Amino acid sequence: MSQPLIVDSPDVAGREQELLLREVEISRKYLGRLPWEMVVWGLGNFVLWLSIWPLTFSGILPLWAGFLLSTFCITISYLPSHEAQHSIIASRGSKLRWLNELVGHVSTIPLVLPYRLAWITHRQHHAHTNDPVLDPDIGTRGHTWLQSVWHSLKARQPGADSAYSVALEKSDDPNAERAALEAAALTTSYYAILSGLAWSGYAIEAALLWWLPRHLSTIYIQLFLSWAPHHPQNEEGRYRDTRAWRSPIGTMASLGMEYHLIHHLHPRIPLTQTGAAYREMREILLERGIRNDGL
Amino acid sequence: MSVVQKAFTWGPLWFGLGFIAPLVAQSMEAAGLSAPFGMSEIAFGLAIGAVLGATAKRRGSWV
Repeated sequence: MSQPLIVDSPDVAGREQELLLREVEISRKYLGRLPWEMVVWGLGNFVLWLSIWPLTFSGILPLWAGFLLSTFCITISYLPSHEAQHSIIASRGSKLRWLNELVGHVSTIPLVLPYRLAWITHRQHHAHTNDPVLDPDIGTRGHTWLQSVWHSLKARQPGADSAYSVALEKSDDPNAERAALEAAALTTSYYAILSGLAWSGYAIEAALLWWLPRHLSTIYIQLFLSWAPHHPQNEEGRYRDTRAWRSPIGTMASLGMEYHLIHHLHPRIPLTQTGAAYREMREILLERGIRNDGL
Repeated sequence: MSVVQKAFTWGPLWFGLGFIAPLVAQSMEAAGLSAPFGMSEIAFGLAIGAVLGATAKRRGSWV
């Protein structure tokens, strides 16, 4: 990357200041709205996922359809919690804060990802994006998407140091211990439910409605939320650690992550508005030197 | 916490016996396969689950 010739020139500094002000001014237009669609998405998706169980057990829904639907539900379960992690649904101290916390806690139950652990480690990801030691999501790094899948599979093995556990141990967050206890409780409950179902004669159902969909969804989420928008994960800095990119499978199937750059620059902008914000900021961001792969 | 951590270190073996064993047995029944050596399907499943779980615990990895 070429460096500015005179970094401390008043002209350059003045221009950067002007661009930043314009960028912030645009971002403000997208802040403050309660994203009801994410509330409905988070809670509705959880209810839909729960309903798969009785529908499949009673024979109304074939197991193969239950497997596909469950994989879909678990894959889209993370994003509403992600909005809650950034207090986008309701900020601390506001009247609807309980709703923010409810969506955060409930939506990722199918993914077996505890909310408090998620937001403590996610804050570290934002603070240290692409740092080889301090970014808890760096484990998805890979030259190709297949390599990334392999690395994240290896990182989830029982003998591997879980990046989230390590991040939690390093964290000075006062809620870290509580987050660890909640994580242990949720994980234990998950395996107890799987085992209970299996020994009650529903092992194949448990495998195809939860165990396998959860693994497939985790791979998909890590690919599109972690690997693709930060690839090749070797640059740090506000305008370089995340890229704008054109996904070969489209914005929706990529979980909206073509515009993940906007999220890293302005984390309180709701997911559904990052595309509009990007289009409005595009020229400013290009002048700031963002990585743009075709968007 | 140490009790929980200790329990988690044995996680692969719990998973092998608690989930893989009945999964193997029920998959065999669904596919119409019978267990070798005159074993019942669940005994065969427990053997497979124990071996896979113990191996994963020793290696620290399922893959």
